[in-house]
Amino acid sequence: MSAPIPQQARSKTLRACLLCSIVLTPADFRKNGCPNCEEIMQLKGSPDRIATCTTTSFDGVISVISPENSWVARWQRTSNYVRGIYAVQVKGRIPEDVEAELENRGIKYRPRDQTDQD
Amino acid sequence: MGADPFIETGEDMDEDMTRGHHASLDARRQLDEEEQSPEEIAKNLSRRYAHRAAVRYTGDMNEIPQRLLMPSVQDSSLWQVRVKPGRERDIVFSLMRKALDVEFTAKPLNIHSAFQRDSLPGMIYVEARSSKQVSEACAGLVGVYPSRGIHLVPIEEMASLLQIKKQEQTVTPGSWVRIRRGKYSGDLAQVMDITDTGEDVGLKFIPRIDLNPRDDAVLDGKKRKKAATANTTMRPPQRLFNYEEVAKVYGRKYVTRRNDVYVFQNDTYRNGFVEKDFKISALILEDVNPTLDEITQFTRRQDGEGENPVDLSIIAEASRKAAVSVLQPGDHVEVFEGEQAGVHGVVEEINQDVVTISAVGVDIEGQKIEIPARSVRKRFKPGDHVKVMTGQNADETGLVVSVTDNIVTFLSDMSMQEVSVFSKDLREAAEVGSGLNVVGNYELHDLVQLDAQTVGVIFKTERDSFRVLDQNGQIRLVQPHQISMRRDSNRAVATDRDGHEIRINDNMKEAEGEGRKGRILHIYQSFYAFLHNRDITENGGVFVTRTRSLISVAPKGNLIKPGADLSKMNPALMQPTGGMVGSGNMGRGPKDRHIGTTVVVVKGPHKGYVGTIKDTNGNIARVELRTANKLIMIDKEKLYRRLPDGKLEALDKPGGGRGGGYGPGGGRTSNPYANNGGGFAPPTGGRTPFANTGRTPNPYASNEGRTPAWNVSSRTPNPYADGGKTPAWNASSRTPNPYADGGKTPAWNAGSRTPNPYASGGGASSTWGGATPGRNVAPTGGSAWGGATPGRTNAAWGTNDGWTSPRNTGWVAESTPWSAPTPAAAPTPATAATPAFNSGPTPAPMHTPGPAAARTPAYWPGHSAPTPFTNFNYTTNTNSSEYVLDEDWMFESIVANYLNRIKVQVQDTRRDNYKDGIHEGRTGFIRSAHRTQGGYTQEVIVVFDDASSEETLEAKYVKPIEALRNGEEALAMDGPNEVKGRAVLLRANADSDMVEVSPKGDSSVYEVSKTALLALYEQK
Repeated sequence: MSAPIPQQARSKTLRACLLCSIVLTPADFRKNGCPNCEEIMQLKGSPDRIATCTTTSFDGVISVISPENSWVARWQRTSNYVRGIYAVQVKGRIPEDVEAELENRGIKYRPRDQTDQD
Repeated sequence: MGADPFIETGEDMDEDMTRGHHASLDARRQLDEEEQSPEEIAKNLSRRYAHRAAVRYTGDMNEIPQRLLMPSVQDSSLWQVRVKPGRERDIVFSLMRKALDVEFTAKPLNIHSAFQRDSLPGMIYVEARSSKQVSEACAGLVGVYPSRGIHLVPIEEMASLLQIKKQEQTVTPGSWVRIRRGKYSGDLAQVMDITDTGEDVGLKFIPRIDLNPRDDAVLDGKKRKKAATANTTMRPPQRLFNYEEVAKVYGRKYVTRRNDVYVFQNDTYRNGFVEKDFKISALILEDVNPTLDEITQFTRRQDGEGENPVDLSIIAEASRKAAVSVLQPGDHVEVFEGEQAGVHGVVEEINQDVVTISAVGVDIEGQKIEIPARSVRKRFKPGDHVKVMTGQNADETGLVVSVTDNIVTFLSDMSMQEVSVFSKDLREAAEVGSGLNVVGNYELHDLVQLDAQTVGVIFKTERDSFRVLDQNGQIRLVQPHQISMRRDSNRAVATDRDGHEIRINDNMKEAEGEGRKGRILHIYQSFYAFLHNRDITENGGVFVTRTRSLISVAPKGNLIKPGADLSKMNPALMQPTGGMVGSGNMGRGPKDRHIGTTVVVVKGPHKGYVGTIKDTNGNIARVELRTANKLIMIDKEKLYRRLPDGKLEALDKPGGGRGGGYGPGGGRTSNPYANNGGGFAPPTGGRTPFANTGRTPNPYASNEGRTPAWNVSSRTPNPYADGGKTPAWNASSRTPNPYADGGKTPAWNAGSRTPNPYASGGGASSTWGGATPGRNVAPTGGSAWGGATPGRTNAAWGTNDGWTSPRNTGWVAESTPWSAPTPAAAPTPATAATPAFNSGPTPAPMHTPGPAAARTPAYWPGHSAPTPFTNFNYTTNTNSSEYVLDEDWMFESIVANYLNRIKVQVQDTRRDNYKDGIHEGRTGFIRSAHRTQGGYTQEVIVVFDDASSEETLEAKYVKPIEALRNGEEALAMDGPNEVKGRAVLLRANADSDMVEVSPKGDSSVYEVSKTALLALYEQK
């Protein structure tokens, strides 16, 4: 299972999910939502959600070809996600409601901006 | 082999049971499905998979600490691959697509991942087990350079590649930023708010509204865009928004008001400021450095409104930060606020905002104190030598005179004025002067042209001016605009006192005077050298001197040999050389005198070929062969000149001018008169040998001692290195040298015994040098010079020891009489061999310095009479058109008509004991003079005044008498064509060197050299 690969690598419109760091075009986000965390982010068909839960400011892209075997994917905590393009760093935090939801579920939120490393 | 003990034996037993259970479930489901209608099945399926896409987000990996994710040896490796810079991201994407494309083919990619970092341009990292898999994956991708190596990333560096942090760009409301581009590029703006994502920033800044728009731009929206682009070069000034103004220009309907804001052209204006959202990437967040002016523009308005005063603390903070960043370990600081206020010490350590200082004081000496950096400031005390690090006065240095709080006043080293700066901008520094050596386009130690006559070297730069030492040793203060240009003297060459070549950067020493040493910075006109020596305090160590007074500190031994004539290298100097040949190329570009010569190759594969020299370069000639129209490059030594009669002779052979310019001799005669046109050139063959036979009292004729003179003259290339001056002048100016050290040869030693002015060493140089040009400029002298040159050049320049060879000796014989005019050859025996002239009362011939030099007492042994020439004041010979008679003057064609009228006097017979000297001093006229051919002595019949007796005398003892009185009649041997060869009347200036004369029966006045006027008896 793999996510769509954006056609334009250099496009300024590419957006990275603040939670799973996958990189897609806004159109892909709107059409299919986030392939990894749609259940909690609810991006599908909602440009407002896309604007708040994804960002264009990210640094570095990773082609995760074989998530299960890749150390890079494990380091980025994307091993269990679909194949696709991921960002190395994503700037910003998920909206507070999503953060609260994660907290409810007892899931530790790890921002993708490498602010807390442990 | 028994049963494997690790395999549970009970499994076999359970297997049947589970299988049975599965089978029953299967059967039941099959039964259910068969009972259901297809619609129901479809419904069930869709219900079952309805939420399949929304996999519940578990964040299952988020609990694992990052450090446990560090790579281990089991993990596949990272490989660094070089790619085209700028294409990193595309290549990572391409790898992804390629992996998906070939996934189910026979050759899937065996890489796990690939990534790129923006901060690492030109490389991507591929995760794979082996480099082979990486290169396979990269094969066929454009912009990947596997050939530049696929490097394994060490395991400990893998994680850091993904941890590189982008430079953080954060803004906080109220902070200052600058707008990066567009109409407001560079403008200061204040941050109002920031969107949650941190991408967009609401800014407030001063608008730039065009209050003089083009008319159509206002009305037509479409055209407005165009106008906007046209106006990009001239952007409107910053001006707070004023409703009335804008409405007046653009019309009220274009400006709308909503509550307390105005909206104009889609921008919102509040309180005169425009409020606009910008992407953070379009802003400059660092080094904003708002100036006080800019900030007051923001405050002015706001103060008036009494609302939202600008937060000056932000600026204060910024300057504090700056203050922290300028602290360095070792700085003396004092604490000016907080508990420790008043303590001072030395900075030991700086850890971000905390500095550790080692306190200085009686009871806390050496104590380490940690203080917030913002609470300390640099401490200076009067007497410290400081340097300004930043700001308007950057790079000034000076002595601290007073300190008030954080303001330090110091006396600038440069301007000697007091300068006050913040202590944070200062550092203690030992250096003096501005570190800045460049003002405008000019730099310290540049050679600059100040005006047409003056150049100088910058030895000190000041804030906006230079101190320049010009070539005359004067110091000038100049502004950059007063400098017309910088001169490059990198290729300049000069000669030092010993004739060594000197160049820029040579270490030289003054031979005289102060004996200063230094490195040559510049050479100007091969005459002035600017040197630099750090040890000299005066003028920043720069001084100027003449190249001729320099000697090398470490002799390089590259003495300019006579053979390596610099004039060949310098086109400016080649010109006169070419002119000297008298071959008509005077004034044209450099030309080797061999060019155009018909030559025969005498060696090598082209031996026997005849050709013409087309060009020469040093020792190599380009010869166009007669056959095959071929050009060959060949060593000149392999060429022999081919004379019109078919004979061959060495190319260097003296007398060989180009084009046979030396008369019927086919270039063999070096007698310039053959080339002179002036009528002074009756064939001289055979006559001259006499000069050499030993009868002539020429010290040089039978004396190797003449060689020194020639050796010295053979050094004549030196003068040519001086550049820009006429060779004649140079040559003559050089000539003193031989005389200055004339003691080398016996002849010269002898000469020094006589009151010969030339023996007086260096003192003679000026008069001597002065005398020579005159002769050179004189028409005849000039041609004589020209004629002499080939011989001289060949002998003296070509081969150093050429004088010992018979060939050259022969040449001496031939060309002697006229070699005198060449400055170098001035002391040649030939001229010296005219004693009759010299001893006679007629001073004319005496002007040749040569004879004077030659007139060494060797020929006056025991003779008590003073040598005549010592009576001459040579300084008077500086006349620029001096004329020199030769001893065959009475055979000149122009003399013939007046021969019987020319007053002559017998001279020098006593010296030579000719006819017992009984006729010495007698005057008369020549009754008859006939040139006898065949090497006999030329004789004339002289009718003496007193007794009217006739006597046959050797021609060389018969000298004409110069016309001396105004009104006297004389024969002009030289001068303008109107008078030359005619009887003239002396009009005026009979005492000076140039005499005004008129042709007989004519009132027009001409100037003729005095020495060219031969007194005439009244017409009978």
